[in-house]
Amino acid sequence: MRYAEFTPFDLVLLAQGLGVTVGLFLATTLIGLFLGALWGVIRFYRTPVLTQFITFVAEILKNSPVLVQLFLVFFGFPAFFKLNMTPVNAAVITLSLNTAAFVYVIAVSSIESIGRDQVEAARVFGLTRWQVLRHVIAPQALAFSIGPLTALLVNQLQVTSLISVIGVMDLAKIGANLNLRTLQPFIVWTVVGVLYYLAAKLVATLGARLEKRLRAHSAFRGL
Amino acid sequence: MLPGAGRPGGSPPPFDPLDSPVRSVTVKPVSLNGARVRLDLTILIPHLGFLAEGALLTAEVCALALVGSVLLGMLVAIARTSSNKWIGRLAFAYVDLFRNVPFIVQLFFFYYGLPEIGIYIDAFTTGVVALSISGGAYASDAIRAGILAIDNGILEAAEVSGLSKRVTFTRIVLPIALRTSVRPLGSVLINMILTSSILSTITLNELTGQAKIVASDTFRPFEVYVVLLVVYAALTYLVSIGISLLHRRLNRDLVEQVS
Repeated sequence: MRYAEFTPFDLVLLAQGLGVTVGLFLATTLIGLFLGALWGVIRFYRTPVLTQFITFVAEILKNSPVLVQLFLVFFGFPAFFKLNMTPVNAAVITLSLNTAAFVYVIAVSSIESIGRDQVEAARVFGLTRWQVLRHVIAPQALAFSIGPLTALLVNQLQVTSLISVIGVMDLAKIGANLNLRTLQPFIVWTVVGVLYYLAAKLVATLGARLEKRLRAHSAFRGL
Repeated sequence: MLPGAGRPGGSPPPFDPLDSPVRSVTVKPVSLNGARVRLDLTILIPHLGFLAEGALLTAEVCALALVGSVLLGMLVAIARTSSNKWIGRLAFAYVDLFRNVPFIVQLFFFYYGLPEIGIYIDAFTTGVVALSISGGAYASDAIRAGILAIDNGILEAAEVSGLSKRVTFTRIVLPIALRTSVRPLGSVLINMILTSSILSTITLNELTGQAKIVASDTFRPFEVYVVLLVVYAALTYLVSIGISLLHRRLNRDLVEQVS
Protein backbone atom coordinates (compact mmCIF):
# COMPACT_ATOMS: atom_id res chain seq x y z
CA MET A 1 0.00 0.00 0.00
CA ARG A 2 1.19 3.49 -0.83
CA TYR A 3 0.84 6.32 1.58
CA ALA A 4 0.53 8.99 -1.06
CA GLU A 5 -1.69 11.40 0.88
CA PHE A 6 -0.56 13.98 3.36
CA THR A 7 -0.95 12.81 6.94
CA PRO A 8 -0.90 14.77 10.21
CA PHE A 9 2.45 13.15 10.93
CA ASP A 10 3.95 15.13 8.05
CA LEU A 11 3.60 18.22 10.21
CA VAL A 12 5.71 16.51 12.88
CA LEU A 13 8.28 15.65 10.22
CA LEU A 14 8.38 19.26 9.02
CA ALA A 15 8.76 20.49 12.59
CA GLN A 16 11.62 18.03 13.11
CA GLY A 17 13.29 19.21 9.91
CA LEU A 18 12.90 22.81 10.96
CA GLY A 19 14.36 21.92 14.34
CA VAL A 20 17.42 20.29 12.75
CA THR A 21 17.89 23.29 10.43
CA VAL A 22 17.57 25.85 13.22
CA GLY A 23 19.70 23.82 15.63
CA LEU A 24 22.53 23.39 13.12
CA PHE A 25 22.21 27.03 12.13
CA LEU A 26 22.54 28.20 15.72
CA ALA A 27 25.43 25.86 16.50
CA THR A 28 27.42 26.74 13.37
CA THR A 29 26.67 30.43 13.85
CA LEU A 30 28.07 30.40 17.38
CA ILE A 31 31.18 28.47 16.35
CA GLY A 32 31.58 30.63 13.25
CA LEU A 33 31.22 33.89 15.19
CA PHE A 34 33.79 32.72 17.74
CA LEU A 35 36.29 31.52 15.13
CA GLY A 36 35.83 34.54 12.89
CA ALA A 37 36.26 36.95 15.80
CA LEU A 38 39.34 35.01 16.95
CA TRP A 39 40.85 35.26 13.46
CA GLY A 40 40.06 38.98 13.49
CA VAL A 41 41.91 39.38 16.80
CA ILE A 42 44.89 37.42 15.43
CA ARG A 43 44.99 39.85 12.54
CA PHE A 44 44.64 42.80 14.92
CA TYR A 45 47.79 41.63 16.73
CA ARG A 46 49.53 41.30 13.34
CA THR A 47 50.75 37.77 14.09
CA PRO A 48 53.17 37.11 11.20
CA VAL A 49 52.56 33.94 9.04
CA LEU A 50 49.29 33.10 10.82
CA THR A 51 47.55 36.23 9.52
CA GLN A 52 48.48 35.52 5.92
CA PHE A 53 47.44 31.90 6.31
CA ILE A 54 44.04 32.86 7.74
CA THR A 55 43.46 35.44 5.02
CA PHE A 56 44.26 32.84 2.36
CA VAL A 57 41.95 30.21 3.89
CA ALA A 58 39.16 32.76 4.29
CA GLU A 59 39.51 33.81 0.64
CA ILE A 60 39.29 30.18 -0.54
CA LEU A 61 36.27 29.51 1.67
CA LYS A 62 34.52 32.67 0.51
CA ASN A 63 35.16 32.10 -3.17
CA SER A 64 34.19 28.47 -3.56
CA PRO A 65 30.78 26.81 -3.51
CA VAL A 66 29.62 25.52 -0.13
CA LEU A 67 28.47 22.35 -1.87
CA VAL A 68 32.04 21.55 -2.95
CA GLN A 69 33.31 22.30 0.55
CA LEU A 70 30.71 19.90 1.92
CA PHE A 71 31.75 17.20 -0.53
CA LEU A 72 35.40 17.74 0.36
CA VAL A 73 34.73 17.35 4.07
CA PHE A 74 32.19 14.55 3.78
CA PHE A 75 33.73 12.43 1.00
CA GLY A 76 37.30 13.68 0.78
CA PHE A 77 38.41 13.85 4.41
CA PRO A 78 37.36 10.30 5.39
CA ALA A 79 39.15 8.88 2.35
CA PHE A 80 42.33 10.87 2.85
CA PHE A 81 42.76 11.16 6.60
CA LYS A 82 41.14 7.77 7.29
CA LEU A 83 38.56 8.95 9.77
CA ASN A 84 34.87 8.42 10.23
CA MET A 85 32.59 11.30 9.31
CA THR A 86 28.88 11.49 9.90
CA PRO A 87 26.79 13.84 7.77
CA VAL A 88 26.06 16.03 10.80
CA ASN A 89 29.76 16.31 11.67
CA ALA A 90 30.61 17.24 8.10
CA ALA A 91 27.81 19.81 8.07
CA VAL A 92 28.92 21.40 11.35
CA ILE A 93 32.58 21.58 10.27
CA THR A 94 31.85 23.02 6.83
CA LEU A 95 29.20 25.53 7.81
CA SER A 96 31.17 26.75 10.85
CA LEU A 97 34.30 27.37 8.81
CA ASN A 98 32.31 28.99 6.02
CA THR A 99 30.55 31.31 8.46
CA ALA A 100 33.87 32.04 10.15
CA ALA A 101 35.42 33.13 6.85
CA PHE A 102 32.70 35.72 6.27
CA VAL A 103 32.67 36.81 9.92
CA TYR A 104 36.42 37.32 9.67
CA VAL A 105 35.99 39.75 6.77
CA ILE A 106 33.29 41.66 8.65
CA ALA A 107 35.43 41.72 11.81
CA VAL A 108 38.44 43.07 9.90
CA SER A 109 36.47 45.81 8.18
CA SER A 110 34.66 46.84 11.36
CA ILE A 111 37.94 47.00 13.30
CA GLU A 112 39.40 49.11 10.51
CA SER A 113 36.35 51.39 10.52
CA ILE A 114 37.47 52.82 13.86
CA GLY A 115 39.70 55.81 13.43
CA ARG A 116 43.40 55.36 14.10
CA ASP A 117 43.41 58.51 16.22
CA GLN A 118 41.23 56.79 18.82
CA VAL A 119 43.65 53.86 19.03
CA GLU A 120 46.61 56.22 19.24
CA ALA A 121 44.95 58.32 21.94
CA ALA A 122 44.19 55.20 23.97
CA ARG A 123 47.77 53.97 23.57
CA VAL A 124 49.08 57.34 24.74
CA PHE A 125 46.96 57.02 27.86
CA GLY A 126 48.85 53.83 28.57
CA LEU A 127 46.24 51.23 27.67
CA THR A 128 47.67 47.91 26.54
CA ARG A 129 46.82 46.56 23.11
CA TRP A 130 44.30 44.18 24.68
CA GLN A 131 42.64 46.99 26.67
CA VAL A 132 42.40 49.07 23.51
CA LEU A 133 40.72 46.16 21.76
CA ARG A 134 38.42 45.36 24.66
CA HIS A 135 37.31 48.85 25.73
CA VAL A 136 37.79 51.09 22.70
CA ILE A 137 37.47 49.03 19.57
CA ALA A 138 35.17 46.13 20.46
CA PRO A 139 32.08 48.12 21.53
CA GLN A 140 32.16 50.35 18.44
CA ALA A 141 33.12 47.57 16.05
CA LEU A 142 30.27 45.43 17.38
CA ALA A 143 27.70 48.14 16.72
CA PHE A 144 29.18 48.66 13.27
CA SER A 145 29.17 44.99 12.36
CA ILE A 146 25.65 44.00 13.43
CA GLY A 147 24.15 45.13 10.11
CA PRO A 148 26.47 43.12 7.85
CA LEU A 149 26.35 40.22 10.31
CA THR A 150 22.57 40.07 10.10
CA ALA A 151 22.71 40.01 6.31
CA LEU A 152 25.33 37.26 6.53
CA LEU A 153 23.30 35.15 8.94
CA VAL A 154 20.16 35.42 6.80
CA ASN A 155 22.30 34.12 3.95
CA GLN A 156 23.89 31.38 6.04
CA LEU A 157 20.45 30.18 7.14
CA GLN A 158 19.70 29.50 3.49
CA VAL A 159 23.06 27.89 2.96
CA THR A 160 22.17 25.30 5.61
CA SER A 161 19.70 23.85 3.11
CA LEU A 162 22.66 22.45 1.14
CA ILE A 163 23.48 19.93 3.85
CA SER A 164 20.42 17.98 2.72
CA VAL A 165 22.55 16.89 -0.25
CA ILE A 166 24.88 14.89 2.00
CA GLY A 167 21.94 13.36 3.83
CA VAL A 168 21.32 15.46 6.93
CA MET A 169 17.60 15.31 7.74
CA ASP A 170 17.03 19.05 7.67
CA LEU A 171 14.01 20.93 6.37
CA ALA A 172 15.05 20.66 2.71
CA LYS A 173 15.63 16.90 3.02
CA ILE A 174 12.23 16.41 4.68
CA GLY A 175 10.76 18.40 1.80
CA ALA A 176 12.51 16.15 -0.71
CA ASN A 177 11.19 13.04 1.05
CA LEU A 178 7.64 14.38 1.25
CA ASN A 179 7.89 15.34 -2.40
CA LEU A 180 8.94 11.83 -3.38
CA ARG A 181 6.16 10.26 -1.35
CA THR A 182 3.22 12.49 -2.18
CA LEU A 183 4.32 13.67 -5.65
CA GLN A 184 2.83 17.10 -4.89
CA PRO A 185 5.87 19.35 -5.44
CA PHE A 186 3.95 22.62 -5.47
CA ILE A 187 2.44 22.17 -2.04
CA VAL A 188 5.52 20.61 -0.46
CA TRP A 189 8.07 23.11 -1.72
CA THR A 190 5.76 26.06 -1.05
CA VAL A 191 5.38 24.99 2.58
CA VAL A 192 9.12 24.40 2.93
CA GLY A 193 9.85 27.73 1.26
CA VAL A 194 7.45 29.57 3.57
CA LEU A 195 9.10 28.00 6.63
CA TYR A 196 12.55 29.10 5.43
CA TYR A 197 11.19 32.55 4.62
CA LEU A 198 9.71 32.98 8.09
CA ALA A 199 12.92 31.80 9.73
CA ALA A 200 14.95 34.25 7.63
CA LYS A 201 12.58 37.09 8.52
CA LEU A 202 12.90 36.21 12.20
CA VAL A 203 16.70 36.41 11.99
CA ALA A 204 16.50 39.73 10.14
CA THR A 205 14.07 41.21 12.67
CA LEU A 206 16.15 40.13 15.67
CA GLY A 207 19.27 41.55 14.00
CA ALA A 208 17.58 44.89 13.32
CA ARG A 209 16.37 45.11 16.91
CA LEU A 210 19.82 44.33 18.29
CA GLU A 211 21.42 46.89 15.99
CA LYS A 212 18.97 49.56 17.13
CA ARG A 213 19.87 48.84 20.74
CA LEU A 214 23.60 48.86 20.18
CA ARG A 215 23.41 52.06 18.21
CA ALA A 216 21.10 53.77 20.70
CA HIS A 217 23.98 55.81 22.15
CA SER A 218 24.69 57.47 18.81
CA ALA A 219 21.10 57.72 17.51
CA PHE A 220 19.62 61.12 16.76
CA ARG A 221 17.71 62.16 19.87
CA GLY A 222 15.52 64.80 18.33
CA LEU A 223 15.47 68.47 19.10
CA MET B 1 18.51 -15.38 11.35
CA LEU B 2 17.36 -12.93 13.98
CA PRO B 3 19.76 -11.76 16.66
CA GLY B 4 19.30 -13.62 19.90
CA ALA B 5 17.42 -16.46 18.18
CA GLY B 6 20.14 -18.97 18.91
CA ARG B 7 19.40 -22.34 20.40
CA PRO B 8 18.81 -22.00 24.16
CA GLY B 9 21.61 -23.53 26.16
CA GLY B 10 23.54 -24.55 23.07
CA SER B 11 26.59 -22.88 21.63
CA PRO B 12 25.91 -19.61 19.77
CA PRO B 13 25.48 -20.03 16.04
CA PRO B 14 28.54 -19.40 13.93
CA PHE B 15 28.89 -15.81 12.82
CA ASP B 16 27.60 -15.31 9.33
CA PRO B 17 28.47 -11.89 7.91
CA LEU B 18 25.80 -12.09 5.23
CA ASP B 19 23.14 -12.86 7.80
CA SER B 20 24.06 -10.51 10.62
CA PRO B 21 22.05 -7.34 11.13
CA VAL B 22 23.99 -4.21 10.39
CA ARG B 23 24.75 -2.39 13.61
CA SER B 24 27.19 0.26 12.56
CA VAL B 25 28.66 1.23 9.26
CA THR B 26 32.24 2.33 9.34
CA VAL B 27 33.63 4.08 6.32
CA LYS B 28 36.65 2.11 5.21
CA PRO B 29 39.24 4.56 3.94
CA VAL B 30 40.43 3.81 0.47
CA SER B 31 44.05 2.87 0.31
CA LEU B 32 45.76 1.54 -2.75
CA ASN B 33 47.95 -1.56 -2.23
CA GLY B 34 47.71 -0.94 1.48
CA ALA B 35 50.07 2.00 1.13
CA ARG B 36 49.46 5.32 2.83
CA VAL B 37 47.50 7.48 0.43
CA ARG B 38 49.38 10.61 -0.40
CA LEU B 39 48.18 13.69 -2.20
CA ASP B 40 48.72 12.72 -5.80
CA LEU B 41 47.19 15.13 -8.27
CA THR B 42 48.54 13.34 -11.34
CA ILE B 43 45.65 10.87 -11.17
CA LEU B 44 43.40 13.69 -12.36
CA ILE B 45 45.26 14.23 -15.63
CA PRO B 46 43.25 11.69 -17.68
CA HIS B 47 40.04 13.31 -16.46
CA LEU B 48 40.92 16.90 -17.29
CA GLY B 49 39.01 16.91 -20.56
CA PHE B 50 35.95 15.52 -18.81
CA LEU B 51 36.17 18.24 -16.16
CA ALA B 52 36.67 20.91 -18.81
CA GLU B 53 33.38 19.85 -20.41
CA GLY B 54 31.72 20.50 -17.07
CA ALA B 55 33.42 23.86 -16.73
CA LEU B 56 32.17 24.79 -20.20
CA LEU B 57 28.64 23.87 -19.19
CA THR B 58 28.98 25.96 -16.02
CA ALA B 59 30.15 28.90 -18.15
CA GLU B 60 27.22 28.48 -20.55
CA VAL B 61 24.66 28.28 -17.76
CA CYS B 62 26.13 31.31 -15.99
CA ALA B 63 26.37 33.40 -19.16
CA LEU B 64 22.73 32.72 -20.06
CA ALA B 65 21.57 33.22 -16.49
CA LEU B 66 23.52 36.48 -16.27
CA VAL B 67 21.73 37.84 -19.33
CA GLY B 68 18.41 36.63 -17.95
CA SER B 69 18.94 38.07 -14.51
CA VAL B 70 20.16 41.45 -15.75
CA LEU B 71 17.12 41.76 -18.03
CA LEU B 72 14.80 40.69 -15.22
CA GLY B 73 16.69 42.89 -12.77
CA MET B 74 16.25 45.93 -15.02
CA LEU B 75 12.49 45.34 -15.28
CA VAL B 76 12.16 44.85 -11.53
CA ALA B 77 14.36 47.85 -10.79
CA ILE B 78 12.14 49.99 -13.02
CA ALA B 79 9.10 48.62 -11.22
CA ARG B 80 10.61 49.27 -7.80
CA THR B 81 11.51 52.85 -8.63
CA SER B 82 8.18 53.54 -10.34
CA SER B 83 5.88 56.13 -8.84
CA ASN B 84 3.02 53.61 -8.81
CA LYS B 85 2.83 52.25 -5.27
CA TRP B 86 1.38 48.85 -6.13
CA ILE B 87 3.88 48.03 -8.85
CA GLY B 88 6.63 48.95 -6.42
CA ARG B 89 5.20 46.70 -3.73
CA LEU B 90 4.81 43.78 -6.11
CA ALA B 91 8.42 44.12 -7.23
CA PHE B 92 9.56 44.33 -3.62
CA ALA B 93 7.61 41.17 -2.79
CA TYR B 94 9.43 39.33 -5.59
CA VAL B 95 12.85 40.46 -4.43
CA ASP B 96 12.05 39.74 -0.79
CA LEU B 97 10.72 36.26 -1.56
CA PHE B 98 13.56 35.07 -3.77
CA ARG B 99 16.25 36.45 -1.51
CA ASN B 100 14.88 34.76 1.60
CA VAL B 101 14.15 31.29 0.28
CA PRO B 102 17.11 28.93 -0.27
CA PHE B 103 18.07 28.44 -3.89
CA ILE B 104 17.84 24.67 -3.62
CA VAL B 105 14.18 24.96 -2.58
CA GLN B 106 13.45 27.29 -5.51
CA LEU B 107 15.25 24.90 -7.84
CA PHE B 108 13.30 21.85 -6.66
CA PHE B 109 10.10 23.87 -6.87
CA PHE B 110 10.73 24.52 -10.55
CA TYR B 111 12.32 21.17 -11.39
CA TYR B 112 9.62 19.00 -9.82
CA GLY B 113 6.77 21.48 -10.02
CA LEU B 114 6.80 22.60 -13.65
CA PRO B 115 6.09 19.11 -15.11
CA GLU B 116 3.04 18.97 -12.81
CA ILE B 117 1.45 21.81 -14.74
CA GLY B 118 2.43 20.38 -18.10
CA ILE B 119 5.63 22.28 -18.76
CA TYR B 120 8.31 19.76 -19.67
CA ILE B 121 11.75 21.35 -19.87
CA ASP B 122 15.14 19.75 -19.40
CA ALA B 123 17.49 20.25 -16.47
CA PHE B 124 19.61 22.77 -18.39
CA THR B 125 16.68 25.10 -19.10
CA THR B 126 15.30 24.67 -15.59
CA GLY B 127 18.70 25.55 -14.17
CA VAL B 128 19.04 28.67 -16.32
CA VAL B 129 15.50 29.79 -15.49
CA ALA B 130 15.92 29.22 -11.75
CA LEU B 131 19.31 30.96 -11.69
CA SER B 132 17.93 33.89 -13.69
CA ILE B 133 14.94 34.36 -11.42
CA SER B 134 17.00 34.09 -8.26
CA GLY B 135 19.83 36.23 -9.69
CA GLY B 136 17.29 38.77 -10.96
CA ALA B 137 16.30 39.54 -7.38
CA TYR B 138 19.90 40.41 -6.51
CA ALA B 139 20.58 42.18 -9.81
CA SER B 140 17.52 44.37 -9.39
CA ASP B 141 18.90 45.66 -6.10
CA ALA B 142 22.21 46.56 -7.73
CA ILE B 143 20.53 48.32 -10.67
CA ARG B 144 18.03 50.04 -8.40
CA ALA B 145 20.88 51.50 -6.37
CA GLY B 146 22.40 52.72 -9.64
CA ILE B 147 19.13 54.37 -10.64
CA LEU B 148 18.66 56.03 -7.25
CA ALA B 149 22.21 57.40 -7.40
CA ILE B 150 21.43 59.41 -10.52
CA ASP B 151 21.52 63.13 -9.93
CA ASN B 152 18.09 64.78 -10.17
CA GLY B 153 19.64 67.50 -12.30
CA ILE B 154 20.15 65.01 -15.12
CA LEU B 155 16.48 64.02 -15.05
CA GLU B 156 15.43 67.67 -15.00
CA ALA B 157 17.71 68.44 -17.92
CA ALA B 158 16.13 65.59 -19.89
CA GLU B 159 12.67 66.86 -19.02
CA VAL B 160 13.52 70.39 -20.05
CA SER B 161 14.94 69.09 -23.33
CA GLY B 162 11.49 67.67 -24.06
CA LEU B 163 12.41 63.98 -23.91
CA SER B 164 9.54 61.62 -23.22
CA LYS B 165 9.54 59.51 -20.06
CA ARG B 166 10.38 56.35 -22.02
CA VAL B 167 13.28 57.90 -23.89
CA THR B 168 14.62 59.45 -20.69
CA PHE B 169 14.58 56.04 -19.12
CA THR B 170 16.06 53.93 -21.91
CA ARG B 171 18.58 56.48 -23.18
CA ILE B 172 19.65 58.28 -20.04
CA VAL B 173 18.74 56.56 -16.80
CA LEU B 174 19.51 52.94 -17.73
CA PRO B 175 22.93 53.51 -19.34
CA ILE B 176 24.13 55.51 -16.36
CA ALA B 177 22.62 53.10 -13.84
CA LEU B 178 24.06 50.03 -15.60
CA ARG B 179 27.57 51.35 -15.82
CA THR B 180 27.70 52.52 -12.22
CA SER B 181 26.37 49.16 -11.07
CA VAL B 182 28.93 47.07 -12.96
CA ARG B 183 30.73 46.17 -9.74
CA PRO B 184 27.69 45.01 -7.74
CA LEU B 185 26.44 43.18 -10.82
CA GLY B 186 29.82 41.50 -10.94
CA SER B 187 29.39 40.18 -7.43
CA VAL B 188 25.98 38.90 -8.50
CA LEU B 189 27.77 37.02 -11.30
CA ILE B 190 30.36 35.59 -8.91
CA ASN B 191 27.60 34.46 -6.59
CA MET B 192 25.89 32.90 -9.56
CA ILE B 193 28.99 30.91 -10.50
CA LEU B 194 29.13 29.56 -6.96
CA THR B 195 25.39 28.90 -6.85
CA SER B 196 25.46 27.06 -10.17
CA SER B 197 27.19 24.17 -8.38
CA ILE B 198 23.81 23.41 -6.82
CA LEU B 199 22.50 22.55 -10.29
CA SER B 200 24.38 19.26 -9.96
CA THR B 201 21.53 18.14 -7.68
CA ILE B 202 19.08 18.18 -10.59
CA THR B 203 21.24 15.92 -12.75
CA LEU B 204 22.81 18.75 -14.69
CA ASN B 205 26.44 17.69 -15.00
CA GLU B 206 28.27 20.97 -14.82
CA LEU B 207 31.67 21.33 -13.16
CA THR B 208 30.59 19.99 -9.77
CA GLY B 209 28.48 17.23 -11.32
CA GLN B 210 31.37 16.05 -13.50
CA ALA B 211 33.72 16.21 -10.51
CA LYS B 212 31.34 13.96 -8.57
CA ILE B 213 31.56 11.41 -11.37
CA VAL B 214 35.35 11.63 -11.46
CA ALA B 215 35.51 11.26 -7.67
CA SER B 216 33.49 8.06 -7.78
CA ASP B 217 35.48 6.74 -10.74
CA THR B 218 38.91 7.29 -9.24
CA PHE B 219 38.05 6.72 -5.55
CA ARG B 220 40.06 9.87 -4.86
CA PRO B 221 37.43 12.34 -3.59
CA PHE B 222 39.96 14.38 -1.62
CA GLU B 223 42.16 15.21 -4.60
CA VAL B 224 39.18 15.87 -6.85
CA TYR B 225 37.40 18.22 -4.47
CA VAL B 226 40.56 20.07 -3.40
CA VAL B 227 41.30 20.78 -7.04
CA LEU B 228 37.68 21.77 -7.61
CA LEU B 229 37.81 24.18 -4.66
CA VAL B 230 40.92 25.85 -6.05
CA VAL B 231 39.49 25.94 -9.58
CA TYR B 232 36.33 27.68 -8.39
CA ALA B 233 38.33 30.16 -6.30
CA ALA B 234 40.64 30.91 -9.25
CA LEU B 235 37.67 31.26 -11.60
CA THR B 236 35.85 33.74 -9.39
CA TYR B 237 39.11 35.61 -8.81
CA LEU B 238 39.65 35.99 -12.56
CA VAL B 239 36.05 37.10 -13.01
CA SER B 240 36.46 39.73 -10.31
CA ILE B 241 39.61 41.06 -12.00
CA GLY B 242 37.73 41.21 -15.31
CA ILE B 243 34.89 43.11 -13.66
CA SER B 244 37.28 45.64 -12.15
CA LEU B 245 38.79 46.28 -15.58
CA LEU B 246 35.36 46.60 -17.18
CA HIS B 247 34.23 48.95 -14.45
CA ARG B 248 37.29 51.15 -14.93
CA ARG B 249 36.86 51.14 -18.71
CA LEU B 250 33.15 52.01 -18.63
CA ASN B 251 33.62 54.76 -16.08
CA ARG B 252 36.88 56.16 -17.47
CA ASP B 253 35.37 59.63 -17.88
CA LEU B 254 34.46 59.73 -14.18
CA VAL B 255 37.86 58.63 -12.92
CA GLU B 256 38.25 61.31 -10.30
CA GLN B 257 34.79 60.56 -8.88
CA VAL B 258 34.88 56.77 -9.02
CA SER B 259 38.58 56.03 -8.84
